[in-house]
Amino acid sequence: MEQVRSFTAKVFAHFPFPPLLRHVFHFQLHLLAAFNRARHAIMGLPIDSKAASLSGEARKRQMLHLKTKEECRLGNETIQVWTVELPSKHAEGILKVIKDNVEHQDAIDLQHLRRFAKPKYLPQHVLGRRDLVKEMYLVPQAWEASAPTVMQMPDATWEWSTASKMRTNNRPPTLYLMVCPSETISLRDLHDLMLQHPPFCSSPDSWAYPLEIKEITVPRLAPTSPDQAKNWSDMYWPTFYRKTNPFGAHPTTIEKAETDLQTPLEDNISVEQALELADYAGSLTEKEGFGICTGCAIVERVDDKTEIIAVAGDARRKPLPSEIGVDALNDNDDANDTSITDSQDGTNVPISANERTKARREKRKKKKAAEKAANEAETSGCTSGNVMSHAVMRAIGMVGRKRLRVASQPISAESNFAAAGLEHNEEARDAFFLDLPVNPLEQQYFEKDNLKPDGYLCLKLEIFLTHEPCMMCSMALVHSRVGRVIFKHRMPKTGGLTAETVSNDTGPVGLGYGLCWRKELNWQFTCWEYNAAGKRAAGDGTADDNKHLNLLPSCDNANVGKLSFNSIHV
Amino acid sequence: MVFGPIPNREYHEGFMRKAIEMAEMALASDETPVGCVFVHNGEVIGRGINGTNASLNGTRHAEFVALAEIMAKHPSSILKETDLYVTVEPCIMCASALRQYRIHAVYFGCLNDRFGGCGGVMTVHSDQGVDPTYPVYGGLFREEAIMLLRKFYVQENNKAPDPKPKKNRELKTEILPVSTPNMLTPAAMPTVEVAKLNLGKPAKSG
Repeated sequence: MEQVRSFTAKVFAHFPFPPLLRHVFHFQLHLLAAFNRARHAIMGLPIDSKAASLSGEARKRQMLHLKTKEECRLGNETIQVWTVELPSKHAEGILKVIKDNVEHQDAIDLQHLRRFAKPKYLPQHVLGRRDLVKEMYLVPQAWEASAPTVMQMPDATWEWSTASKMRTNNRPPTLYLMVCPSETISLRDLHDLMLQHPPFCSSPDSWAYPLEIKEITVPRLAPTSPDQAKNWSDMYWPTFYRKTNPFGAHPTTIEKAETDLQTPLEDNISVEQALELADYAGSLTEKEGFGICTGCAIVERVDDKTEIIAVAGDARRKPLPSEIGVDALNDNDDANDTSITDSQDGTNVPISANERTKARREKRKKKKAAEKAANEAETSGCTSGNVMSHAVMRAIGMVGRKRLRVASQPISAESNFAAAGLEHNEEARDAFFLDLPVNPLEQQYFEKDNLKPDGYLCLKLEIFLTHEPCMMCSMALVHSRVGRVIFKHRMPKTGGLTAETVSNDTGPVGLGYGLCWRKELNWQFTCWEYNAAGKRAAGDGTADDNKHLNLLPSCDNANVGKLSFNSIHV
Repeated sequence: MVFGPIPNREYHEGFMRKAIEMAEMALASDETPVGCVFVHNGEVIGRGINGTNASLNGTRHAEFVALAEIMAKHPSSILKETDLYVTVEPCIMCASALRQYRIHAVYFGCLNDRFGGCGGVMTVHSDQGVDPTYPVYGGLFREEAIMLLRKFYVQENNKAPDPKPKKNRELKTEILPVSTPNMLTPAAMPTVEVAKLNLGKPAKSG
């Protein structure tokens, strides 16, 4: 704008325009200014500050909080209600009439909507057209209520003093009342009821205010965000956002978690690092031929300090005692041996040349195994392998074992089982549940006694997953009372956490179980989908981070996207 | 139809009796009294009781404990011809696991209205999914199954984060008629119901 203005100033200085032309030029300038103002108004922000906030926004989008089942189901539900306009001094009186005479007028919770609304806050379709009769009604009122001295002011017009009086009273002449849901009382009954009471019946003080009952549409349930409240206020009726969410986690809980995980305190693990670890765990067990490329990392947060409690990769193909010797698993055996003896005791150990050839060999093997897995998945769905060795189940099992180990008073595991007179084969049981580490990476985290003693199950622990878990694993998380769950990839055909059943902007449609937040279950936890692309777009990942990422084998490109992989339970 | 007539009921009751015996053992050893047996060709190949308290692992349900015993000797494919008898309806987790293992059929005593996966809260056994569905039959020795649970839940759960004092709890013996919103119940059938316990947080059940 400034440039344009100075340019025109220069032009004017050099060329003496005829007055008329100058005028036209100025008019165009005004248009331009108006256009710019409008543009800013639409965008809501000056351009500079918008650009500044963009990276912050994109950053926040990394963790997408999952919608709960109820949020998905009820978000757009509406209800019909009666409304009536009335002089504001009768507001209390009429409300009492309704409360006393309309049975079940508050049976449906509409606490998120204003009971009375000033006309200026109402959308046009609720206001309807200007009604002169109603306006006339207010005239004598204003006359009576205004002090004579005000009325006699020489420069005060009659209307003006009325308006001023109203402003100082802070009371608009009329209000709109949301009477009740229209299913509660018929229009005729409501009409008859209203006509019996002032201001809708004439009284010695005043004539009757014209009664006009309208049926309008309002949101049935409380909004779950300030934006939603604003939209609904513009569309339907003034709506409150109370910074609570009856259909999911409290917004401050979600915010706190996102801060904890996205901008971790020093020495604490970030969401990105934790997911990287889960990724690595999955890629390791896959490389070793134990399972598919999915992983899980469990973190405990005590007094704002994080500890990595358990790390596990999927191991569904690790042979069970009954299956050892089965030929299909033989070709993986040597891979198992080497990987266990390798000194891979960290997530960022550089890969030696020797290992690189091994890695190549294993890559071929991996490719073969992946093809085999894909074929199997297509022919036999997901039954291939030991369901109990999904990464989530293994990691939860490791937490239980650690709890036994760090308990302040010894707990004799399975003694009850023996006491009950049941013989059992411990080795076979361990092979089935696989809740012991299968490689140095898992061992490294398993052997640390870093779990707070005498805790309960996985109460409030944080779970990081490469993939959305299957129903079994999702419910295992509920049973274990976990606190936060973050996964990277949705599994629309098998996942148990997402709730969408209708396609929308949040992602592909899944089975719609939404197990993370179901009121009918006895535990709820907060859950996010992690979108690494959001980070890249924001461009705040340092070069080092990215290099680190590229070094590690990742589950990202291995299986996801393959059609057959979609049908696998993770 | 979960509570439909069960053909050859006495045969199945025989195995459910064994599951009830397992649940009694669980109660005697301080675990949520849920018991189960897996039956292949008329032979019990796996038995389980809840093991959540001993293992400090909330997922160690009776079904899983029994599966561990089976898998020690048999390939998992045996489950395609194996039936499960469990005193309480399998939970959502177990219902999904059983489906992934392709269980042949499931017989249970009472529903689980807290987290049942075969009709109590959800219907994981029959929902649309990548694995074939399996049939479930409820109501075998339902009263015994409920009474076992009640006996357990009048006890206090010292392992819970804040154990609730239950000194004033009485063991109710009245068993209410069935209320099953998720399924049809033929009027002629003996009523089967959800274990209406309404007590504090359990350690876990099946």
